[in-house]
Amino acid sequence: MILGNPFKLRRNGVMGLNERNLRLVAELNPRGLMRLVNDKTITKRLAIEAGIPNPELIGLVSNPYDMRRLDQMLERPNGVAIKPANGSQGNGIMIITGPMKGGYKLANGRRVVFEDVRFHVMNILSGMYSLGGLPDTALIEERVRFAGVFDEISFKGVPDVRIIVLKGVPILAMLRLPTADSDGKANLHKGGVGVGVDLVTGVTQLGMQYDQLVDFHPDTANELSGLQTPYWEDMLIMAAQAYDVTSLGFLGADIVIDVDKGPLLLELNGRPGIAIQIANRFGLRAHVEPVLAADTSKMDAKARIAFGKDIYRLIHEGQAAA
Amino acid sequence: MSSHLHARLLAFALILLGMGIFLHKSVQNDYPIVPDQTRTIWNLEVYIEFAAGNRPVRVETYLPARSDVRDVVDEQFYSGPFGLRIVQEGVEGNRKAIWTYRYPDGPKVLRYRTTMMEENRSTPLPDSLQSEGRPADLPFQSNLQRQAFIVWISTIRRQSADNESLVELTLQEIFSPTLSDELAALIRPLPGSLGRLELARTVLESQGVPARIANGVYLDDARRRAEIVSWLEYRVDGRDRRYFPNGNPSKFFPIWYGLGEIVEAVGASEMSTQISLQPSRYAASTIARSQVDDGNFVLRMFSFDALPLTTQLVYRVLLTIPVGILLLVFLRQFIGLQTLGTFMPVLIGIAFRETALLTGLILFSILIALGLAMRFYLEKLKLLLVPRLAVVLIFIVLSMAAITILMSDGEQRIGLSISLFPMVILTMTIERMSIVWEEYSGSEAIKQGLGSLAVASITYLAMSNRYVEYLMFNFPELLLVIMGLCLLMGRYMGMRLSELRRFRELIGIKDEAEFPFKDKAE
Repeated sequence: MILGNPFKLRRNGVMGLNERNLRLVAELNPRGLMRLVNDKTITKRLAIEAGIPNPELIGLVSNPYDMRRLDQMLERPNGVAIKPANGSQGNGIMIITGPMKGGYKLANGRRVVFEDVRFHVMNILSGMYSLGGLPDTALIEERVRFAGVFDEISFKGVPDVRIIVLKGVPILAMLRLPTADSDGKANLHKGGVGVGVDLVTGVTQLGMQYDQLVDFHPDTANELSGLQTPYWEDMLIMAAQAYDVTSLGFLGADIVIDVDKGPLLLELNGRPGIAIQIANRFGLRAHVEPVLAADTSKMDAKARIAFGKDIYRLIHEGQAAA
Repeated sequence: MSSHLHARLLAFALILLGMGIFLHKSVQNDYPIVPDQTRTIWNLEVYIEFAAGNRPVRVETYLPARSDVRDVVDEQFYSGPFGLRIVQEGVEGNRKAIWTYRYPDGPKVLRYRTTMMEENRSTPLPDSLQSEGRPADLPFQSNLQRQAFIVWISTIRRQSADNESLVELTLQEIFSPTLSDELAALIRPLPGSLGRLELARTVLESQGVPARIANGVYLDDARRRAEIVSWLEYRVDGRDRRYFPNGNPSKFFPIWYGLGEIVEAVGASEMSTQISLQPSRYAASTIARSQVDDGNFVLRMFSFDALPLTTQLVYRVLLTIPVGILLLVFLRQFIGLQTLGTFMPVLIGIAFRETALLTGLILFSILIALGLAMRFYLEKLKLLLVPRLAVVLIFIVLSMAAITILMSDGEQRIGLSISLFPMVILTMTIERMSIVWEEYSGSEAIKQGLGSLAVASITYLAMSNRYVEYLMFNFPELLLVIMGLCLLMGRYMGMRLSELRRFRELIGIKDEAEFPFKDKAE
């Protein structure tokens, strides 16, 4: 089958990018607030203030003067992550797992020297990865050492959990797994695997890769479903709180699990992708409509999570009964 | 008001306004909507030659009449030493040129020239053609004539069912080769068919059918000497009709109305009047545009004719860009094509104007390939972003120069067409492609590059289309329509074609397994 029948897709509540942009992003995310999630330094500050755990910030490099301290910042036994503050879709992120023979070892196993890292930071500063080529800042963060929960279904790199939060209500979640294709990144565009996660229990379901349904991880050949995501309730709370600190009505919260620190908020996305529908094998609209119709302004994070779970349960059990 | 409704109302208002002006121009003003539509214009010349004998001379000539359906522009008079006056007379709009001179001597020539559009049987008659007939006021001298007329007309009336059949019967009787005695007595002794035409006009007027005698020329061919012919124009039951007693012309041109002679002169001898006709073909848009001068506000407001020619040429190109943009919006919002940069494909499409499609594609590919190679080489030198872009740009200019020099030797004109190929766009394209190349993969970069080229080709074909160019330049109000369409597309919430493919796996979810992971959830 080359094309899907648009009427069937519509009946199944599948949402397209146009509808997402108009009904969710444009309606719920005022442009002035998008800065809060586009600029990772601001997101980080907000998260720290609200007590949402996130990777420790080692330092910022926003001009050549800061660059002098770059080598000190890289001196971390557990490695660092270098990110453009205004990067998008995971572009421009460099993960150093630790020192290696006078240079540094990258997440994909390659060895680079200090000069290479410096050049990468310079590119970030001159705006190579930022929207519109504006000068940017580089964040140097503690590298997240991923807890081995999903080792069976990951290939190198760091898996993360994406939770869609609508008006503060978590409505859908997926686990994003790196693959050989995605070069250690959990980005679905780059060939990562997306796995639906039961919003109520945090147990993984079936998955997708390259917009195709998959039941097994393509590299490890292990079954994707049936794994319990640890700290699931904590993650839901972090995601729901992200709404309180940003006021953005349509958010994607990306959370990773550190072996020592537990779940950490990696970043927020004001334009979360819609591939999550394929990962969950369910259209977004059914989850979106009840939240849009409800007034969530009086609810606290816990109440919103309960509301989100009710909706999820209702839809999916209603489906089961039908 | 919701933003959805707001956008829709605005869009429809814009589309209505744009289409309204467009239709007004094309229908009301006969502005042709496709290029190269030609129309015949006739050059009419009245040439009057006479001998003057040192006494005051007065020459009167009818000029083409003006009316609410016809305007006469572009008139030229060759008067020599004569004084010229133009007078307008009567409701018919008859116009006369009156040349006067007190002491002319020897042979004299007067000339009048104008251009005119042909008229045919469906050309409407002016509203000023009104019946002024009062049946009591019959223009017959004697009682005998009047009685004959009454007897005859009452017979006709009896035989006819309505005005139309009455007119037909009347004309048939009056112009039949054998005249009845009473009719013969009614016909005034006028030259040619004028007597019968005048009688017909009188009869029609007396029955409340507005009618007039038109004098003019038939337009079937170029003629050195055109003959003045007369016919009857009348309106019966709101329908405009013409009756030609001589011949059956398809095209004609009435000059004046009534019983006058085309030229009347006092004090001149050896008069000879010659009317010549010369057809010439013009682009119909030229004719329509020449009417802009007549104070048609709508036409003038949306027209570039007042601008200098060079500026007009710029607008010829500029106005097609929105068409390309419209296409791009469609391809992105409805088809879901991925391109490098938002409007970059349209800019490349514009660049193709200089090079033509195939050459443009070849040039573009060569330059991008060279630039990418350069860009990857520079990656090793670890330069800052802006200087690196500068180096790539200079390299692109160098490559373009090299191509030009290499190609100018041969027959190829590739090199010469390169001039305005946008190197800044090329540089940015190279930069974007190389980032995609690094972050994703070479195949992804090439895929996006090819996608951009495909979109650029499509927009180029649309923008360089002769009809599109003609329409946009002559009807710039269509920009409002395009704007409205873009507004409508801006509120499109449905699936993109690419998403139908992307989400194809989600089609069956409800049909086969109601809840795909029911068992495991429990």
